[in-house]
Order: sequence, then C-alpha cells, then structure tokens
Amino acid sequence: MITATALTKRYGQKTAVNDITFTVRPGQVTGFLGPNGAGKSTTMRMIVGLDRPSAGTVTVGGKPYAAHRAPLHEVGALLDAKAVHTGRTAENHLLAMAATHGIGKRRVREVIELTGLESVARKRVGGFSLGMGQRLGIAAAMLGDPSTLILDEPVNGLDPEGVLWVRQFVRHLAGEGRTVFLSSHLMSEMAQTADHLIVLGRGEIIADAPVDEIVAGGTRPRVRVRSPHASQLADLLAAPEVAVLRSEAGVLEVTGVEAAGIGDLAAAHGLAVHELTPQNASLEEAYMALTADAVEYRTEAVR
Amino acid sequence: MTTITPTATHPAQGARSTRLTFGGVLSSEWIKLRSLRSTVWSYLIVIAISLGMALLMSLSMVNGMGGGMDIDGAPVEQQHELVMQASTFGVYFGQLVVGVLGVLVISGEYTTGMIRSTLTAVPQRLPALAAKGVVLFVATFVIGMLANLGAYLTATIVFGTDLELLDADTLLTLAGGALYLALVAVFALGVGTIIRSSAGGIAAVLGLLLLLPTVLQLIPADWAHDAIPYLLSSSGMTMFMAIGAEDSAIVGPNAWQSLLVVLAWVGVSIAGASVLLKRRDA
Repeated sequence: MITATALTKRYGQKTAVNDITFTVRPGQVTGFLGPNGAGKSTTMRMIVGLDRPSAGTVTVGGKPYAAHRAPLHEVGALLDAKAVHTGRTAENHLLAMAATHGIGKRRVREVIELTGLESVARKRVGGFSLGMGQRLGIAAAMLGDPSTLILDEPVNGLDPEGVLWVRQFVRHLAGEGRTVFLSSHLMSEMAQTADHLIVLGRGEIIADAPVDEIVAGGTRPRVRVRSPHASQLADLLAAPEVAVLRSEAGVLEVTGVEAAGIGDLAAAHGLAVHELTPQNASLEEAYMALTADAVEYRTEAVR
Repeated sequence: MTTITPTATHPAQGARSTRLTFGGVLSSEWIKLRSLRSTVWSYLIVIAISLGMALLMSLSMVNGMGGGMDIDGAPVEQQHELVMQASTFGVYFGQLVVGVLGVLVISGEYTTGMIRSTLTAVPQRLPALAAKGVVLFVATFVIGMLANLGAYLTATIVFGTDLELLDADTLLTLAGGALYLALVAVFALGVGTIIRSSAGGIAAVLGLLLLLPTVLQLIPADWAHDAIPYLLSSSGMTMFMAIGAEDSAIVGPNAWQSLLVVLAWVGVSIAGASVLLKRRDA
C-alpha cells in the first residue's frame, strides 16, 4: 500500500509534482500514466526516498520508505534500467544489492533464473541491451521478495515476448496480494495490464479510477454502421451532437447516438443495415482525451 | 524469456526474514569494491610503483648517483635512513593512484546511475558512505602495507643491509606510509561524493595533492609558505617520514601533529560529503 498525501516537488521555479494525493492498493495492478515530463518518475523517486518532497508526505506500508528495517523486503523498485555500474557483472551487482540485507546467494540465483538472465549473469552490464538492463532491474527489484513493486516503464526496450512476460509477471504478483505500481507510456499495454489507473498531467492527477471507468468515461461511445444506404442514413442522423465519419464506402463511424437509436431510425425509414457495432473506446483514446490539455499546455510552454 | 510458472515468484523460504544491517552494507561495499576492474588495477599499480621506485631509488643511491654518497662508508644509522627513504618513496606516487580510486568508488556510481540502486537499498544513506569509507580504508591500508613491505625488502636487498622488520621505527614508518595512503583514499571518497563526477573529482584531488604545494611556494608571501606544512600531501609525508626523528630537527609540525592535520583534512572532506549526501536528491 502506497499512500501519498499532498505530495509536491519543485525544482527551482518549475513544479514537477503539484499537490497530489493518491493511494495504491494491494492485490491489483495500478497503472501510472502521463505524458513525458508529467512527473511520474519524480513521484516514484519520492516514494523510495531518492528525491525529497518539497511538501507533503508519502508512505509505503504505513511508514516512510527510509523508516523500514528492511526496505528491500518492503519495496522493490525499478526506477531506471541504467541504475547499475556498467563495469560490474550482473551477478555481482545482484550479490552486492542482496548483501545489504543479508539475502543469500540462493535468492540471487532465483531472481536470475526468474528473469531469464542465466546466460549473461557473468557478463559486464556495460554490454547489455536496454531489454537486458530492464530484466536486471526487475531481478534486483525482486531480490527482497517485496510486498510492493514500483516499476518505472518496465517494458521500455523489451521485445514483444518480454512485454508479454512483464504483463503476466505483474498480474501474477498482484494476484499474490502484492501492491504493484507501474508506469508506462504504452496505453494499450496499460489496458491489458492494469486494474486501476492514476493519470498524471502537468504534475497533477487528472484521473484516478478503475481502467473500465476511465475507458468508459473518457470518450463518447462510437458505433460502426455498414449499410448500402450509408449516405441517406448519414443525412437522417445529422444533428448538432452527432458526429458521422465515413471511414470507407458504405461504412459510417457514428458518435453521439446509441446503436439502438441508429437501428430504430434505419428501421423507421426502411433502410437496410448490414452491420451495427458499438465500438469500445480504447484506453489510448481515453488517455488522449484526458491529457489533451496537459499536452497542449506543454507544447506551448516549450515554444 | 521464461514463462511464469506458479512457483517461479515464490520466494525462498526465509528470504524475508533478513534485514538491513551495517554489516550487510559493509559486505555489499566489499563486493562492489572487489568486483570492479578499476580497483584491481589501481592496487596493482600501487604495488608496482612501490617496488619499482624502491628498486630505482636504492640502485641510484648505491651507485652513488643520488648525490655521490658513499653508501658502504656511511654509518649504519644513515644507511637505515636511506633504506627507509627508498622504501617509502613509492607512497608519493601511490597517493595519486589511491586518490583517483577513492574518487571513482563513488563518482562511478553517480555517472552510471548505480547510486540510485545503492541509496534505494540503504535509504538512510550515511551507512552506505561509512561502509564505503571503511572498506576503502582497510583495503588500501592492507595493499599499502604489502607494497611498503615489498619495497623495504627490495631496498634492503639492494643496499645489502640487514632486515630490521621488528624494529619499531621501521614498522611505524612503513605502516605510517600505508596509513597515509588509506587516509588519502578516504579523503578522495569524500571529495568524489561532494563533486559527483569522475573528471571533476579527480581534478580536485590531484590538484590538491600536486598543484597546491607548488602554487603556494610560488606565492611571494609568508602566509603561503607557512601554510605549506599543513597541506594534505606535506603533512602526509611528514607523518611517516619524521617518525623516530628528533622533534627539534623538524621545522613545522612533528609526525603526530601531522597525522592530526591529515585526519582533519579527511574529517572535513567526509563531513562535507555526509551533509550533501543526506541533503541532495539522488
């Protein structure tokens, strides 16, 4: 369980994280979404005490991270795949991390096997690909068998197989009752992985809700209509709150009217309809709709 | 990558029964120190320099090139003094090597991002710095002692004098040289922590050890000349070379006073490092 209260981080004039309050609960995967520079990484660094909050507090399992007697058993963090000395082998890196908590060699071997690093464990990290670096970071996070996992962009640089592995892995961890908090810029990835979403934009929380709710609330439902009388139907549907797009010949993408309404309308006018499919809005669209303001603001700020 | 098997993430029984201890942090830092090539190379160079310098120095003294001395005709006391000079000559160069190593031990973590892993495992931070300091001090002292003993052995062989390893002054001088090397390494660790970059840290340490004494000598003012004996490198040299010498024969602080001066340099460096490490974002 991670609890942030009025958490704020300022770097000089710039406010990276502005007065955010949220709770990350155990037993589910909580996604942390936001455009680049929204403050996700800063927030995660504050959780494990690497950055000191300018105001507010954040606790893990009821205590500030640094107050735990065995921090690595409490929280496993992958904050930066490159947080490893490039001159050291993966195995020695893990052994050194494990030694701080008296964690044995057996556990180090376990996490190496768990992340599929056996073949490169004795190679220097400097030669690692981004994907291998991510696996090593996840291995290090798992060393203490922590009840909370914080993963910043864990699928960055992973091949499709690796992405699938991370997705199954975090779901499995949450299924064991752990708290899993992961950030990603891949919205589609979040839709398949997360149960709950916290969306951050410009350092502020834009949304904090279950994934389904965000998807449902973020966009207006859309209906795909295939009909030999597409043009006629489009004219009939025309209304201020209705948008009709012709994606291909004989196909309409309609927003603003429910599928039933379109069907009734077509029937009333004796128009044949070959397809009438409510389209599930994707998380990506919901996310774009949510963060549109933040993104626009950022673009202007840069200019 | 491997697919998840239901048992894959289940921890080793008892994996969570351990906790963060200073002993654990010490052992972690020891693993870190010995698992980098830069450490191994630095220490090999310290030993090589010590032996090489002892050999060169004693050969040139014996052959009378070091000022036309007649070694065989010299009294035993003077012979002993020359042997000690030759066997600790390497410390002057060794201090530069361990100074670089001391900086790299922490700046290497900042430049690679490793520091974030370190401080996540040891969120109180200061135990990590302390453990680094202890491990670096002990390792450097041991290597320095081995190097000095080897250099002493080399010099006595070249001079053909008797080994006086049990002589208190001999041991104190050799150990003093090793102690100085270990203290320079810890001083550099502090500087590296403050500056957080390899290039900057190394420049600062080498500048202080090599450049500052020369600069102060060139300044035509009494205060500048008065300050020289209190510099890290000058007090370091006095600290082990003046052991056993009569106090009256020394200008400026004696060996024990010089040790205090060196400790003060180390103390200031580590204190500054501690404050900044604790306060700054990583």
